[in-house]
Amino acid sequence: MAHVVAPLDQPSNYKDSQTRVDRRVQNDLLAKSTTLYIGNLSFYTTEEQIYELFTKCASPEDGGGIKRIIMGLDRNTRTPCGFCFVEYYTHAEALASMRYVSGTKLDERIIRCDLDLGYREGRQFGRGKSGGQVRDEHRQDYDPGRGGWGAQAQRMEIERRREVEERYQDAQDGPGAVAGGGGDWKEAEGAGNESRLKRGRSPEDEGDGRLGQRSRLEEDVDAERM
Amino acid sequence: MSSYHRGGGNRRRQHRDDYDDRRRDVYESPADKLKNAIIKFGDVDAVEELPLIEKQIREFTPVVISNLSEAFRIAVTEQPFKIPHYAALLRRLHDSTEDAPTDGPSLGKQILEDFWKGFQAYLDKLAWRETRLCIHFFAHLTVAKLISTDSMFALLQSFTAVLEEFGVSNGRAKKAAVCAAEGLMIGGPILKPSSAERVQEVINGIQAYNDSATSPKALTRPIVELYSDEISTPNADELLDTALQALRTLDESDFAETASSFLQPYATYPDLDLSTFTLYDLPSVLVPPEVIELDGLSTDSGEDAQVKKEEWPEYFLSLFENDITPDPKTPAGYTVRTGILDILDIFEVNRKECARLLIEYPKWTIPGTFKPKPGGSVNADPVPGRDWQLESTIIETILGASFVLPESCHKSIYYIGVITELCKLSPSTVGPAVGKSIRKLYSNLGEGLDVEVARRFAEWFAVHMSNFGFQWVWKEWIPDLALDIQHPKRAFMRRALEFEIRLSYHDRILKTLPAEMQAPEGHTIGEQAPGPDFEYDDPAKPYHDAAQSVLNLFRGRAEAKDVISHLETLKVTLETSDDGGIVNADALIRNIAIQSLLHIGSRSFSHLLNAIERYLALLRSIASGGASGAGGTGNAEAKADILTASAAFWKHNRHMVAIVFDKLMQYQIVDPTDVVGWTFINRAEIRELSESTGPLSLSAFEWDLLKGALDKANGRVMIARRKVATLRKEDDDNRARAKASGGADGNAMDVDADVKADDAPVDSPALTTALKAFASLTREQKGALSRTLDGFVSCLAPGATDSNPNPHSRVVISEEGWNDRASWEKDQWNAWETWGWYRQFCRSYAPYLRNYSTTLFTVSFAKFEGSTDPAAELLKKTWNVATGQE
Repeated sequence: MAHVVAPLDQPSNYKDSQTRVDRRVQNDLLAKSTTLYIGNLSFYTTEEQIYELFTKCASPEDGGGIKRIIMGLDRNTRTPCGFCFVEYYTHAEALASMRYVSGTKLDERIIRCDLDLGYREGRQFGRGKSGGQVRDEHRQDYDPGRGGWGAQAQRMEIERRREVEERYQDAQDGPGAVAGGGGDWKEAEGAGNESRLKRGRSPEDEGDGRLGQRSRLEEDVDAERM
Repeated sequence: MSSYHRGGGNRRRQHRDDYDDRRRDVYESPADKLKNAIIKFGDVDAVEELPLIEKQIREFTPVVISNLSEAFRIAVTEQPFKIPHYAALLRRLHDSTEDAPTDGPSLGKQILEDFWKGFQAYLDKLAWRETRLCIHFFAHLTVAKLISTDSMFALLQSFTAVLEEFGVSNGRAKKAAVCAAEGLMIGGPILKPSSAERVQEVINGIQAYNDSATSPKALTRPIVELYSDEISTPNADELLDTALQALRTLDESDFAETASSFLQPYATYPDLDLSTFTLYDLPSVLVPPEVIELDGLSTDSGEDAQVKKEEWPEYFLSLFENDITPDPKTPAGYTVRTGILDILDIFEVNRKECARLLIEYPKWTIPGTFKPKPGGSVNADPVPGRDWQLESTIIETILGASFVLPESCHKSIYYIGVITELCKLSPSTVGPAVGKSIRKLYSNLGEGLDVEVARRFAEWFAVHMSNFGFQWVWKEWIPDLALDIQHPKRAFMRRALEFEIRLSYHDRILKTLPAEMQAPEGHTIGEQAPGPDFEYDDPAKPYHDAAQSVLNLFRGRAEAKDVISHLETLKVTLETSDDGGIVNADALIRNIAIQSLLHIGSRSFSHLLNAIERYLALLRSIASGGASGAGGTGNAEAKADILTASAAFWKHNRHMVAIVFDKLMQYQIVDPTDVVGWTFINRAEIRELSESTGPLSLSAFEWDLLKGALDKANGRVMIARRKVATLRKEDDDNRARAKASGGADGNAMDVDADVKADDAPVDSPALTTALKAFASLTREQKGALSRTLDGFVSCLAPGATDSNPNPHSRVVISEEGWNDRASWEKDQWNAWETWGWYRQFCRSYAPYLRNYSTTLFTVSFAKFEGSTDPAAELLKKTWNVATGQE
């Protein structure tokens, strides 16, 4: 079927840069894969939530079900960093998830599924410099579900805070320590302190699969670069 | 892949060296381009595009008929909403033009002749949907006067002939009947004038079949009346019933209404000149018999182990009045419903495109069928009696399809996903339709809405809300908190919230509720997040120290054998303790060990798996009742204790109970039969867990446990069957190869050896093992099914001596009892729900139950021989209908 529309259960153009098998073999593996990569999870989403949603694509009467879930962790902190692998017993279940669940919400975020070559040791960890996923290195938005600012932005944020903190290390106390500077004209208050900006979710998180796929490709290009 | 976009699809992909860029456009040959243009015809404006596409087809050289007919075939079977326009296009291609020579068959006729071959291929494969849609196309072509009425009648009658086959299955008959009915609806205006008699024959054939197939209907109607055999129900319609009624209505007015139910863009075309044109005679066909796969596998007690999913009558719930959404019993209403169902079915591969096409559906209907879009540019005059709401119609149809009993055609999550996409596409129009549907469904709760439909409703509700910020106006249901705690409305609220929490978390969901529902006395949501409950956590609790010692071994990753020996020591200590010793030290030790292990594994699903895997030897030892090395099926009491300990540990979290049970079965610590037995009997020991403590009865949660166990048992048989088939084929291939090479080696082969090889094919060791596994798994399957049936029998027709009988199981199935439901309390509603799950068990597992029906009947029902107990009667009757004996 499907001459008229493209099916949703095709694997994306992602390729695992650290895999050693060649592309033809990769494609063969994908064609019977029982494992899904799940992306754009909140750091707070639990395996049980994932289990609940993905069970809806399971076919236990056909010998299927959820075999295991491997939570993606930050290499350094060993905390969830927003992705996981869901492994089923059958290929059909993985395809069903691609068709029915990918692009819907879990824990109020639009998650993305992709057929995966299968879990191998080490893949549970983020490949970004900070220990998390590479996509969270460069993220420019504030995403409360994924640790606030992106890692680079976070580093800049910490740097900025340290500058602010260090700046007044030499502050004195006692009379005359604080300048008077004149009076009368009153300045508008509140300028200068950092108010936590509450920004909406970045459009790319909500975007269609294709955008997500691209960013994931970049992620691994980046991992290579390290 | 899509030939719409890039032609050749898979064939092309192989030529590409760059596997990464699947998105790159590939070369499309001119023939592919033409094919795609035909498939895309009408996407913008079919009337405008018609002369253009005709020209494009006529001007294309070289003429390759097969390419053109393939385009038509794809278009007709994948875009049924465009079929009338393709009929118009094919009609135009029958005209002779100035450029084209008039002698010889027209382009259109050649395409039609080739199209027929494709139809024949669909029919040979019994691809019912494609077959049916081709019949639509032929029926339109008959009205367009391209196909002879005689041959069209013959085609329809080869489908009604199926209905008279001896022992025809319900599924096959239903599909054949719908093919004939729909063909006649469309072709009627020209068929009836040619032979009113043959029209009657077709209708009567369908009617006769429908009249004969009533008993399964009582078991699949979504609004239940346990006391009656009545099959018509005010809020639901059965598919074949609606087809017949629509057909009868059309027939009464000599098919005048066809023109107002189906587009006929070809209707105004002049007749072809019959001096040069002869009508096409569709070749006669025979609907091929169903292929019965014979793998010759039977259970060790000789039962046929084949699973044939028997198809049931299809009831669709109706949610709205007939002025809001069409009545499917009318010709126009039937057309709209099947039109939407076809889109839903065909575009299952891409729910987003499916949603888009559904929203665009009015484009393919008679103008005025649906209310115009607010602010839309086209304002057709509303047709009296129509002017329906598109979104309500779509949602009603999708929900109807997703609530079909015993199971929907696709997984529930597909229908849920389409509704989500529809809401995203047009929130302001689809949102209200969804809200109204929820309220309507909710109002059916307690009025007979089937328990399985109620369960799917709760599931849809939770997933839908999870996609839309959990925004539901709960406060409108506050007054219902006055209903009995087990009233289906209250059970629904609890269940929907429980499902929401599983997808989200307790505090998030709690916040969405009004104070009345948050309050503990509202009994709607738990006060706290559903965490684990380690019985020995509190130092003041008995056996705290003993449990700590076990826990410490687990924490220190002690070896299984050390834990086992520690448990043995502990048992001796407990048995000989100062306070006179423990009555059941075995059970206590099991409880301590299992709860401690689950405690270690309570942080996440993965932790659970790790804990189980690390201590498999320990778990097996416990399951075998301590008899080390016993192996095999273990000790029933010990396994029940394991399940009880697990359920007690997770008593505040039923999701986790189901997960732990599933994995205990997966790792073969317990068997499905153990879970079934536990669910009926021991489950009542844990009061927090169950909504139906007290008298024996089942709620949706217990049903989920049963279903988990039965599916596991059935799934294992399925895997074993596949394995045997694969190994057998390998064996056969090897033998054939050996024989072939032997034959090649020398003609003077030893005759004796030849005979020996033929007579006694020896199975490979792998196949022997697989056959053994198959035998024991079918045994387990039969055991689990039998145990379930037995459990239901003792719940619903309890004997005087049964412990804890529900005194109401007989009351709720009487008409007076049901009419008195306003005064029902917990026990009555529990009994009613249990009857509902029994029905679901029978109809949903019928394909498996059939294989064992004789034995199971004898085992469970023999005791009712000669009994007039109404409960026993209803149990047997339901069973007989499900297993096809009534």
